[in-house]
Amino acid sequence: MTEQTNQEFALEVREVSRTFGARKALDKVDFDLPRGAFLSIFGPNGAGKSTLLKVLSTLTIPSKGKARVMGLDVVEDSVPLREKIGFISHNPLLYPDLSAEENLEFFAELYCLENPKERVRELLVAVELDHRRLDLVRTFSRGMIQRLSIARSLLHEPEVIFLDEPYSGLDPHAMDILDGLIESIRDQHTFVMVSHDLAKGLQLCSHALILSKGKIVLFQDKEFIDEDEFAATYRSTVGLGVS
Amino acid sequence: MAETPKSRMSSWRQFKAILRKDIVMELRTKEMLTSMGLYALLVLVVYYLALAQVGSKFDVGYIAAGLLWLAIIFTSLLGLNRSLVHEKDQGCLDALLLSPIDRPIIFFGKSVGNLLFLLIVEVIIVPMFYFFFLSGQTLAGPFWMLALVLLVGSIGIAGMGTMLATMSVNTKGKDFILAVMFIPIMFPLLYACVGAATGVVMGDAAFVDGWVQVYWRSLGIAAGYDAIMLLAAFGLYEFIIGA
Repeated sequence: MTEQTNQEFALEVREVSRTFGARKALDKVDFDLPRGAFLSIFGPNGAGKSTLLKVLSTLTIPSKGKARVMGLDVVEDSVPLREKIGFISHNPLLYPDLSAEENLEFFAELYCLENPKERVRELLVAVELDHRRLDLVRTFSRGMIQRLSIARSLLHEPEVIFLDEPYSGLDPHAMDILDGLIESIRDQHTFVMVSHDLAKGLQLCSHALILSKGKIVLFQDKEFIDEDEFAATYRSTVGLGVS
Repeated sequence: MAETPKSRMSSWRQFKAILRKDIVMELRTKEMLTSMGLYALLVLVVYYLALAQVGSKFDVGYIAAGLLWLAIIFTSLLGLNRSLVHEKDQGCLDALLLSPIDRPIIFFGKSVGNLLFLLIVEVIIVPMFYFFFLSGQTLAGPFWMLALVLLVGSIGIAGMGTMLATMSVNTKGKDFILAVMFIPIMFPLLYACVGAATGVVMGDAAFVDGWVQVYWRSLGIAAGYDAIMLLAAFGLYEFIIGA
């Protein structure tokens, strides 16, 4: 019998552990995230942030525990779940030897979109890359690649968007564009973002989570977050000053 | 879950998208075809130099099929490595895995692409091989029999090679690991294909019990090997690509 799921939650994570050999990347991670929320995940390098994102996005299978995204199990319902999620990484996840349009059309075919060409054109206009649609991705700047990567992740109109350090390596102008794009789709989506930038993460989020050594140190609704206290907890976890 | 006509349509569309993308990228970069073609040419030159010293008493026809298959197998290693490495670059493999696609479709898309590139290289090197080593000699069997062996052998090389390249792409010494796994696993196929091709080249001079019988028996072994290995790859690919 299928476990009962709560329709209020975008994420239901139950004691999820992930081990790589003897190393525990995630250790009994357990939390729920309401639909429409923006979760920022913080933590030092090796804390398990990216592994958690990979488990939730079906890229990695949990060693123990259960996780559901939009009511779908990340292991048992992985194929239908992938239709509901988008993933933006610091890696572009795009083919440098294809043009912007070819890249998006390729992924549109993989998602079996009904009108792929129209959807691709619409998104290229939205990320202001329509004028470069025939150019190879390898000729693009970092900011342009990130905008195209956002377009790729939105092709199939996902309900949950995972962002793995999306601001990494962006110049201020590209960061502004990314901010604008996130803001424009904020209302209709649930976001889960991994970030090292405490100020940016807290500015965007509705919920915040700190991971250390694979365990949750703190998980809070932003309403109840005292930013100084949060920064102190983060600092003690990371072991470094906060910029 | 039972496969519906709609899901079959989606799978076909996804398969075509992967194959088309690989062909477009290869036609644009010519990375695989150039490296495989040049390597094969160099191997033929080395063979020629080595065999130039043996004198007229030695009939190269007896070892010609073995030499040809050695050239093909080593040449294919180059291409197989490249085919997965460009998926790994820029995180494109993750983008493929994030899409709602059954993993065996990725396997078939990549395998057919690799088969196509291998056949293109064979179309170039087989006539060159004939010109270098067998000119003036008449084949014992019709050319289509040799072409059939090449096709059956190439299917096995492309299929198993794609699976092994997927396994090795995440390892540190991927070139070395692929070669170490590939050659022993390919041994039965190589043995059967060399037997069948030697029959076509030399006829009864090489096989006292009738070359046609040896040919069909060897081809049957090669086809059986292809079927078993492709089924194994089909069943295991989900596990392999997600590991």
